[in-house]
Amino acid sequence: MASIDITDVRKAYGSTKILHGVDLTIQDGEFVVLVGPSGCGKSTLLRMIAGLEDISSGEIRIGGRVVNDLDPKDRDIAMVFQSYALYPHMTVADNMSYSLRLRKTAKEKIAAAISGAATKLSLTPLMERRPKALSGGQRQRVAMGRAIVRSPKAFLFDEPLSNLDARLREHMRGEIKKLHQDLGATSIYVTHDQIEAMTLADRIVAMNAGLVQQVGSPLDLYDRPANLFVAGFMGSPAMNMFEGTYRNANGGTVELAQGVVVPLAGPAPTADGTKVTLGIRPEHVLVGKTGLEGIQALISLVEPTGFGTILHASAFGEDVKAFSLERGVAVRGDTVSVSFPVDRIHLFDTATGSRIG
Amino acid sequence: MTEAVSAPYGRDRRPFLRRLANASEPYLYSAPALILIVTVMLVPLVIGISYAFRDMTLLDPFSGGFIGLDHFRAIAKDKTFWLALKNTVYWTGYSVGLQFAFGLILALLLDKPFYGRGLAQALCFLPWAVPSFLSGLNWAWMFNPVVGPIPHWLYGMGLMSAPDNILSDPDLAMWGPIIANVWWGIPFFAITLLAALQSIPRDLYEAAAIDGATPFQRFRSITLPFLAPTIAITVMLRTIWIANFADLIVVMTNGGPADKTQIVASYIFTQAFRRLDFGYASAIALVLLMLLMIYSLLIVFLRQTLLKER
Repeated sequence: MASIDITDVRKAYGSTKILHGVDLTIQDGEFVVLVGPSGCGKSTLLRMIAGLEDISSGEIRIGGRVVNDLDPKDRDIAMVFQSYALYPHMTVADNMSYSLRLRKTAKEKIAAAISGAATKLSLTPLMERRPKALSGGQRQRVAMGRAIVRSPKAFLFDEPLSNLDARLREHMRGEIKKLHQDLGATSIYVTHDQIEAMTLADRIVAMNAGLVQQVGSPLDLYDRPANLFVAGFMGSPAMNMFEGTYRNANGGTVELAQGVVVPLAGPAPTADGTKVTLGIRPEHVLVGKTGLEGIQALISLVEPTGFGTILHASAFGEDVKAFSLERGVAVRGDTVSVSFPVDRIHLFDTATGSRIG
Repeated sequence: MTEAVSAPYGRDRRPFLRRLANASEPYLYSAPALILIVTVMLVPLVIGISYAFRDMTLLDPFSGGFIGLDHFRAIAKDKTFWLALKNTVYWTGYSVGLQFAFGLILALLLDKPFYGRGLAQALCFLPWAVPSFLSGLNWAWMFNPVVGPIPHWLYGMGLMSAPDNILSDPDLAMWGPIIANVWWGIPFFAITLLAALQSIPRDLYEAAAIDGATPFQRFRSITLPFLAPTIAITVMLRTIWIANFADLIVVMTNGGPADKTQIVASYIFTQAFRRLDFGYASAIALVLLMLLMIYSLLIVFLRQTLLKER
């Protein structure tokens, strides 16, 4: 077990810059998820920690030791790949014991380590099979088994669940979480799936275009997104965002299109007349009968998910999404009034994209 | 309607020609291919095999009679044949072995990305495009001390006591065609092995690097098992081709000196087209065919076991 310190790490392939200086400290035993869209540099960062990519500049320390110039094998980390990367001509037992055999570990120790891991991952009846004869979920478990037999300083996961179907992914997500609670090992997990990030992480690192956008606990990122990118990326259905102008009058309001004025909880720390983006999550939008206080809107689309209902309402020339756990709130063609509770409103500076207040 | 009712037992009342056309339809479709295969492959094969059991000498107008196994009895006592068989093993073994070794090294080098790899690949595969006859002539000249540099180089390095032509030295002559053959055949192994190498998932090497495998251990536990089926099939193909491949020998040494470079294939060529004894040549060819068939069955069996292990 060890902490991992990343200091101003950059990566460039020729003139193409992939990472523009990442600073991050991962505590001993912490489960950190790097999340972001494809090409944001999250996998590159993980591979640099593993030693599979050179570090163009900056410093990575594992357990206090600078590992920039160490080979992957000397960094004492284990990695689970998206494709599992199991050795196809070796049995499950051989796959799991390969690293120990290379390190010339004593036979009894190897046997104890792999049988322990096999029990933990319920792989015991499969030990003599080859990867070809396993299902996707079983291969995934073997890949994790291969990682845990060595008790490394840190586990690195590179989108390990992307190749599984939705149900199995949910199941394995739980297994990974339980495994982490059992072993308490420092883990870094890369994914583009924000649900995986929310459910697994102690801390989430949201990345975009080679920059860290926000670091924090899952609920921090959800409740107080630092900028428009994080606000839009976390949450499904995605947050509503409306551009408008901030007004200081009447205790702080936002003027949206078509003269609609939305009151805020209080004056925001920005100048009168600033172009702002008002964000509100669909589950916080209130939909009521007309005549109540609110903005007149026409229901244009109703999407039942079973779990709840997503309503699309047209108002002030925008599509306002609302999520309700109740069914039958409205049908297509209804005229309703929508309102935004003041304590649920997020305000962002449109020009810089960063949060106001 | 009435016709159909009056027809006893529902007999086919269509005109005879029409029925014939319908029945022969599938045969007519496959006929062009079948006729081609039969005329250019089966007929010559059967005639060729039949020569092995007949006395067929082109210059003897009374030859052509059936002589049973006489040719095979002669082969059993033919010292040149046994020498040629030994030479064939020597020639094939060294040629295939060296072609494979250098082909694998070349493929491993070309698998790594470097600047100008595309050009290097194209150049490395060039020898394969040279006609074997031309490459034989070229190498014969290179080994010739009058026009070629190689004997002088070997003499200069102290490997030879005098700049002689190794093609006229009974102990070394076989190495002339073998070197030419290795130069000419490396690209075949390089191309096929490179294709197999590039199909190995990169993740596996990365996983092994993290697991702590050295480059050699990665080669042994990932590259080799992945290449094994390709190696088995290419080595088999090349062995059969090279065992049958007399061009270089005929062009460079013509089996000499003193039959020291005579392989079975070139011996067949000599018997058939120099001595014009087609019967005897056919009999030798049949023996070679049998030996190669046994060999390929063994390799195919080996490959099946290797594939099953995956």
